[in-house]
Amino acid sequence: MIFIRLITLTLLFCAANQIFAQQTKITVSGAVKDDDNGETLIGASVYDATSGNGATTNEYGFYSLTLPMGNDSITLEYSYVGFQPVNRRILPNKNLTLNVRLGTGVQLQEVVVKANAFQESIRSTEMSVEQITTKEVKVIPALLGESDILKVIQLKPGIPSGSEGNTGLYVRGGGGDQNLIVLDEAIVYNANHLFGFFSTFNTDAVKDLKLYKGGFPAQYGGRLSSVIDVRMKDGNNQRFAGTGGIGLISSRLTLEGPIEKDKSSFIVSGRRTYADLITRQVNKANDDNPDYNPIPDYYFYDLNTKVNFDLGENDRLFLSGYFGRDVFSFNGDFFDFNFSWGNKTGTARWNHVFSQKLFHNLTFTYSDYDYNIETKLTGFSFKVGSDVQDANLKSDFYYGLNDNHILRFGASATHHSFGVGRLKAGSDDGEVSFSGGNDFTAYSMGAYIADEMSLGKHWKINTGLRLSGFANNTFYAGIEPRIAALYNVNTALSFKASYARMFQYQHLVSTSGISLPTDIWYPSTKQIKPQRSDQVAIGVEKLLGKQYLLTNEYYVKWLRNQVDFVDGAQLFANDNLENEFAIGKGYGYGMELGIEKQEGNLRGWVGYTLAMVKRGDFMPIDDTKVFAGDGKYFFPRYDRRHDFSLVLMYELTRRITLSGTVIYGSGDRTWLPVGRFVLQDVPGANFQPIVPVYGERNAFRLPYFFRSDLGIVYKFFPKWGESDLTLSVFNLTNRRNAFFLFLEPQYDKGVDPLIDPLAIPTGVAAKQVSLFPIIGSLTWNFKF
Amino acid sequence: MKSVAWPSFAVLLFAFSFQSCGNLEKEIDLNLPVYESQYVVECYLEPGQPFGLLLTRSAPYFEPFPTDLLNFVENILVDSADVTITHNGVDYILANEPSLNPFTLKVFNYTNPALVPTDFDNDFSLKITLPNGKVITSTTRLLPVVPIDSVVIEFDAKRDTLARCLTYISDDPAQANFYRRMLHHNSLLDSIPNQDFTTNDDYVDDRTIVFGTSYDFKEGDTIYNTMFHIDRAYFDFWESTFNAINSNGNPFGQPSSIISNMRGDAGAIGIFTGLSYDRVMTVVKK
Repeated sequence: MIFIRLITLTLLFCAANQIFAQQTKITVSGAVKDDDNGETLIGASVYDATSGNGATTNEYGFYSLTLPMGNDSITLEYSYVGFQPVNRRILPNKNLTLNVRLGTGVQLQEVVVKANAFQESIRSTEMSVEQITTKEVKVIPALLGESDILKVIQLKPGIPSGSEGNTGLYVRGGGGDQNLIVLDEAIVYNANHLFGFFSTFNTDAVKDLKLYKGGFPAQYGGRLSSVIDVRMKDGNNQRFAGTGGIGLISSRLTLEGPIEKDKSSFIVSGRRTYADLITRQVNKANDDNPDYNPIPDYYFYDLNTKVNFDLGENDRLFLSGYFGRDVFSFNGDFFDFNFSWGNKTGTARWNHVFSQKLFHNLTFTYSDYDYNIETKLTGFSFKVGSDVQDANLKSDFYYGLNDNHILRFGASATHHSFGVGRLKAGSDDGEVSFSGGNDFTAYSMGAYIADEMSLGKHWKINTGLRLSGFANNTFYAGIEPRIAALYNVNTALSFKASYARMFQYQHLVSTSGISLPTDIWYPSTKQIKPQRSDQVAIGVEKLLGKQYLLTNEYYVKWLRNQVDFVDGAQLFANDNLENEFAIGKGYGYGMELGIEKQEGNLRGWVGYTLAMVKRGDFMPIDDTKVFAGDGKYFFPRYDRRHDFSLVLMYELTRRITLSGTVIYGSGDRTWLPVGRFVLQDVPGANFQPIVPVYGERNAFRLPYFFRSDLGIVYKFFPKWGESDLTLSVFNLTNRRNAFFLFLEPQYDKGVDPLIDPLAIPTGVAAKQVSLFPIIGSLTWNFKF
Repeated sequence: MKSVAWPSFAVLLFAFSFQSCGNLEKEIDLNLPVYESQYVVECYLEPGQPFGLLLTRSAPYFEPFPTDLLNFVENILVDSADVTITHNGVDYILANEPSLNPFTLKVFNYTNPALVPTDFDNDFSLKITLPNGKVITSTTRLLPVVPIDSVVIEFDAKRDTLARCLTYISDDPAQANFYRRMLHHNSLLDSIPNQDFTTNDDYVDDRTIVFGTSYDFKEGDTIYNTMFHIDRAYFDFWESTFNAINSNGNPFGQPSSIISNMRGDAGAIGIFTGLSYDRVMTVVKK
């Protein structure tokens, strides 16, 4: 309650301040865009060296800067990482609209750009944020050559990266279901292809990705541990252009161009894997071979589209959509098996500039995730599927009140539909039939207000309050205070602190560390209360010289109403899914250290995280079920004590860029048997000589993870544009990282327990299974 | 770098990649913590059959295995316990006298030749007093047999030498039912079943449940269909036991504890349940 009072007082103070504001200020506002293609630049900085005031463009490329009124001209410097800064002289005697285009042009002195980009970070209350652009992602080596922005962001501190086969995002001790992933503001419920080895984000269609690990701005809510905001490109409004690539497993093509130059543009981007085209031919060639086992078909594809229109000086309309699907099918003489899953998202967004100080964004989004499994046997069929759909309307305001206050406020409402475990099975003649499943309709809402307030030269405080609500068969309300403070010692050093409370009203039904398409979302109900987190973080940012930014943060996070599942939970096709839940608590703390260099021939970062997370006090909702451990606290699978990553990109010549990554991490936790017993079983059943008795939950740690990757990009400059050959070597040292461990009974030679029901093992061996040896891949990319 | 070198380098790299694909599994050393042995009870009450109970102890996972079956069995059996099953006020004392059923190949180390009464309305209670004075208790009740309504053999239209088997039962919609279904091919009690799983009736729309097979059978084969009508305790025990077995070595699996209906201060695991089943033998004919 103290926080809420504090925030209320702050906001009242802010309103009073406006009343007494003197008419001695002017406001400069506008948009900052890429000169080459007209794309808005997010996070570009505008700086007035005379007054020391600055601003950055928001997520729509819009900025608003309040300056002292005067009769002497001043110079505004517009800058953005990788672009040539632009200076504009203005006379600050009236409000101005100034739209600026930045070009990459001639490489300017890197120290200037570096200083501005990092100084903006040092001046900002934002902390616990990682950002990456597709330009960087395309250079970094990737598994099978598939550049993946979601995988690269995992190389940043605080986001445990790369353990073998574990594809979840576990941010600051949060669970894999606690990440809000949005594409152009529409939620992506399952951002994975192929069990998470690839993400749904086609690098050619994405502009950038920003990940919040803490200090969450008040406009975000709904997940506990991170916000991953992915922005699609708007499309080139200057000229028709194309990019694409042919890789080992997929090809991509993106076309973009102006509908009306400078005013509107489109982008269409597609990607598809093609292993199935080969396997089909192999199957066809072996059609007459009775001993041949056909290879199942598998492929995935993505389609991203976007159009945007300038509707005059103050209005802009965006329409974007994503459609992606994985398809797995296996058809034999006696049965057909088809399994498909995928996301659909749509966004309609209207930006309106009310005045130089007030910017408004009205957004409608639609999200859909579903999976379907259909099996047909002669005379019988079986269908199971689940889905979740959201329709969301939100309104966000950005108000540059004066040079000391920037207000953000807005509200949103969402209609959710959940179809959980829909099952239909039976005979074709209708004599036998089974069906089941649950449908839920729910509503969620949120309203927020936040004020970024400057207090003198050194202090800046961002206070916010979010109110959230969720209605299903009951109603939950959440009060979510957010506060972030900055103490700017000088232009090269600042200290930051933040506190954020988050509520999560939807829960992922999954027990595996691997992202499965059958993982499905379940709403909060009377019995399943919303998850809650409270996170406190403190940090320091220091410019080392003018090219390196050192970031060091410490966090503590408390988790309530955490969701897990009872022992032996039946999560698939279960009408009483709620009875499989167990509810508990958790906490985590850690330290993150990073040094980054963004400009120059040698770029990259090094990050180290020391972290601890525990969960416990779990009680099954159905008290006849068991959650092993008697409520004791335990390490979750993703408890990673040490996590180190090094990413380097070196532009050797105009044609050749080298890149490399080195990842080291403590092994994931695993739950192994410690004892065994014999099960004789009933007459007619197998005698089981080894039934494992599992010990303490996740008490074992897998061997440490280490991987180094190498990338070489060789560019060509044909007359029609630019192309490159990208060589990726994944797991350069061919290290066998542990995917999982298992304990295998050993038998005398010639003894087969599947044939001899009374076979006795001679011993037990512990074995480790790995997924990826050294893998090389070559991709040809082009753009025109 | 000359562009001609790229394809050669890439080919070499891919060749090395594929060559190194093998051997993704390796043996490692693992130190498991000290494990304290637990008592394990198996007692299935089959109406009209003698009482039999198997009392064993569990072992640390890596403990060496005895070299032959007899030593193996002797090593795990727990002797000198007092075992009593009580029903309708009658105590059936199970003596510590091991017996082997030569037909089912099942061993019990506590037996009583009295026949289990057919009574679906009253509980059976188990009490085991261990040599160390600790006590194991449990309770169960017999369930009526759910008969197999029919067994249908269907030959495939494309390959008329192969047939599948459909087994029909009628479920009582008035109560939650649990089943264990077993199917043996050509031989019964001394063989490993082709099918062996448990299920419940959550998704049954009407009374009929059908269990199918793939086209595995030839004319002249003998199929033994067995349908156990089991209680919730046995369903949970069986599911948790096989979940524990199948989770070892399965990256998608979720390990679990054994869900047992043993109570008392001995910390025992196991199952005490009735055994009600119907079995139908079918010879595959066109």
